[in-house]
Amino acid sequence: MATATLGTKTLSIKTLGIKLDRVSAIFRHERRGDVTAVHDLDLEINPGEFLTLLGASGCGKTTVLRMIGGFQKPSAGRVFFGGDDVTARSANRRDVGFVFQNYALFPHLTVFENVAYGLRVKRLADTEIKSRVDDGLRQVGLGGLGDRMIAELSGGQQQRVALARAIVIRPAVLLFDEPLSNLDAQLRVQMRSEIRRLQKELNITAVYVTHDQEEAMAISDRIAIMNAGQIVQTGTAEDLYRRPASTFVATFLGEANLIRTTIVEVAMDRLTLGLGDSRWDVVTTSRGPLGAEVEAVVRPEAIRLSETKQGFSGRILSSTYLGSKIDYLVAIGDQTIKVVQSDPSAGPRFAEGATVEVALPHFGVQVLGAAMRH
Amino acid sequence: MLPQAAARPRAAILDGLARPGGLLVIWLLLLLFVVYPLAMMLARAIFDNGALSLGALTGALKAPGNLRAFRNSLVLASLVGVAGTVIGFIFAFTVERLRLGGVLRRLIDRATFFPLISPPFTTSIAIVFSFGPRGLITYDLLGLQNVQVYGLTSTFAAETLTYFPIAYLALRPMLASISNQFEEASFSLGASRWHAFRTVTLPLAMPGLANAFLLLFGSSLADFATPLILAGSDFPVLPTEAYLQITGLFDLRSGAILSLLLLVPAGLVFVAQEWLVAGRSYTTVTGKASALSSGDSASSLAAAGLLLFCVAVCGVILYFYALLFYASIVQAFGANHTLTLDHYRVIFSEGLPAIKDTLIIALIGMPLGGLYGIAVGYLVGRGKFVGRKTMEVVSLLNYALPGTIVGIAYLVAFNDKPFALTGTAAIIIACYVFRYSPTGIRTTVALLQQIDKSMEEASASLGAGNFYTFRHVMLPLIMPAFFAGLGVVFIRSMTAISATIFLVSINWTLITVKILENMTEVALGPAAAFSVFVIVVVLVVTELLNRILFHISAPSLRVSRIGT
Repeated sequence: MATATLGTKTLSIKTLGIKLDRVSAIFRHERRGDVTAVHDLDLEINPGEFLTLLGASGCGKTTVLRMIGGFQKPSAGRVFFGGDDVTARSANRRDVGFVFQNYALFPHLTVFENVAYGLRVKRLADTEIKSRVDDGLRQVGLGGLGDRMIAELSGGQQQRVALARAIVIRPAVLLFDEPLSNLDAQLRVQMRSEIRRLQKELNITAVYVTHDQEEAMAISDRIAIMNAGQIVQTGTAEDLYRRPASTFVATFLGEANLIRTTIVEVAMDRLTLGLGDSRWDVVTTSRGPLGAEVEAVVRPEAIRLSETKQGFSGRILSSTYLGSKIDYLVAIGDQTIKVVQSDPSAGPRFAEGATVEVALPHFGVQVLGAAMRH
Repeated sequence: MLPQAAARPRAAILDGLARPGGLLVIWLLLLLFVVYPLAMMLARAIFDNGALSLGALTGALKAPGNLRAFRNSLVLASLVGVAGTVIGFIFAFTVERLRLGGVLRRLIDRATFFPLISPPFTTSIAIVFSFGPRGLITYDLLGLQNVQVYGLTSTFAAETLTYFPIAYLALRPMLASISNQFEEASFSLGASRWHAFRTVTLPLAMPGLANAFLLLFGSSLADFATPLILAGSDFPVLPTEAYLQITGLFDLRSGAILSLLLLVPAGLVFVAQEWLVAGRSYTTVTGKASALSSGDSASSLAAAGLLLFCVAVCGVILYFYALLFYASIVQAFGANHTLTLDHYRVIFSEGLPAIKDTLIIALIGMPLGGLYGIAVGYLVGRGKFVGRKTMEVVSLLNYALPGTIVGIAYLVAFNDKPFALTGTAAIIIACYVFRYSPTGIRTTVALLQQIDKSMEEASASLGAGNFYTFRHVMLPLIMPAFFAGLGVVFIRSMTAISATIFLVSINWTLITVKILENMTEVALGPAAAFSVFVIVVVLVVTELLNRILFHISAPSLRVSRIGT
């Protein structure tokens, strides 16, 4: 149990952790036979944490969310809320707030009645309902709009109603299924910070599903990246960006150059990598056998281009001016890498076809490969 | 199993019982009022005194009279199907693709609406008034003597005028869904309007046209009233033959066998329609209607021709209705044109029992039909159970089959114990409810398709059980289907005859049956007055229901108006 302060009132809200224990979801498909959407998935979400399931469409992230919400029964495995096994509990007895992608507002009810719906189910007194709905609407910035019909609201306002409806029941867990995907870019940015603010204020455990990596990085305490029905890596946005455990994560989150190279020397705190005739020292605790074929993950913004003689020789293949930055495609040896130069007005500019020196970073490089130990 | 299982509230128990209970009740009703009568009729046709005997059946198939009726039915249905589809398409094309003024649009809407809600004899009566031996046009205008109005031509004309609005209503949304961008693309590639129409619009409309043809073919095949009045003895068709066998010769078995003959083409039409609907996905070429029609789809000459045609057809229809009204307020149409209210006095005195009976039956059938429609629609549209598809097909059977078959089946099934209902109002009400509720069922299913599953999940995530969700979310959202369903049951209870003509009795009779009696007794005035009365009642009630529908429909859900 934790206590959250909300405006002038102090509300007691249960803050529960969530645990998924080897859950699977298998769908029977008429023509394709059994389709495994989620396979043997483990996940632990701490009380009060904001966790985002991030992945491409079809990776199973929504299915995981629906299993937490109770809309989808796992084919195997168990779901725990704060130590209670809720696997067999139906959605209406799980104490979750769910914000749907299409909002799922009731079109025949007013804004007020939509928000009040869950409270009426609980048979609360009218005065209590009134004050909680008014509070909820105020919290999402819709105070005074209770009498409107849903069809009279803009998309952003509908989103807020959906949010208010989910929080006024004071659920133990708040679940979001791509809630911002129907909004325009500007509103999306605004709404995500509001959702984050509310979640912190309420100190409520939240699970959020999205395919938008920027949204995931902006809103979450931790991100779980999913691929093909499994979680491939979990961590803070920075963990995942700086220390991707696989080339999938490296390329999925942000842009990454995967430079093919071999290990030519192993020392205490570094690896020396061979690239053509040149050598490249990388400070890392990762280890691999000499001669192993590996891939070094280097972010485009970590590479410097210059005319001075340091690093590797490269040739500019293309240069794209984008205002705040310039994207270069550079050939080094038989590989093409992407380099981002920020603030184009400050540094030197390189023309297509020009020969440049490419300075690869020595720190913050992940070395990945089958033979690697981290 | 569940931690809180012991303390489940009353609502949770309802949750557990509502679905299986509802399912059981619906299946029992379907078995009793759809499957059982048809099975009994089949049995009557192929069993003789408890022994299987196909003798009568094969005999009936060899009888030249029956074969002739069979052939006539098919010929008539094909003609009406083709002509009605063509007229319906011309109307749909004119309304969807030409720029029409509000007046013309309203004229077309009204004129095509009347035949849909009229008692089945209306056009036939008007044709007799116009083209009969003492007809306004044949006798008064052209001075022709001894005109023969009865036969294929007049039956064909009457049925085409009565049923083409069905094709029009089916083709209009289909044409609207074919974006005129396709035509514009064709123009931009250098095609002429006619070429674009022939190579783009028409092929895309083909599945819709086939569907419209099947609808009309089925309607004509099932039509009993029009041929009874207009076909005459030279052009017997199956429904009328079956009727004469039963009411004239009291030969229930021959009637059943003739129904069986009718069942073959009707069944084929049903199967073909299901097949068309199943394969329809590729014909919905674009979901979004693009900008309004540019009105460029036809040359001005062609447009004028199309408009003229539509206005002429509408003119004929309105003329028929005006004639009907006129005939109801003159002493004796064709002989004495003194204005009088005598015919209305007759229908409200001698005809009063029929009016009372009809209204009682319609008013009891209304809520039952509405309820039944949304119950079946909800189960079929949202339920997950073995036999869901079967339930859907069975629930549509009585609607899809010609009324003659349904009527004879009810007569055979409910004449004896254990379900002796003959002579009661219940049998007529049951017939209407199970025959005309598919509109309610379909509207419910269509509404449910627009209601995302997440709506129910949202309710569940807020703590509501199945029953609470149904009561507070689904029921209000499908309420329009309830009214649409009961509206159609009411209209048909007022106007239908083909099935219930077999079910009326001394105790319970119907206005439509009275109209038929008047027609055979050549009491044309009261027949016209009855028809006008029915049309007015139906118009008033549909208008009322449409207002209710408009008010209770959630703004974002689309529900079509009753009668359209």
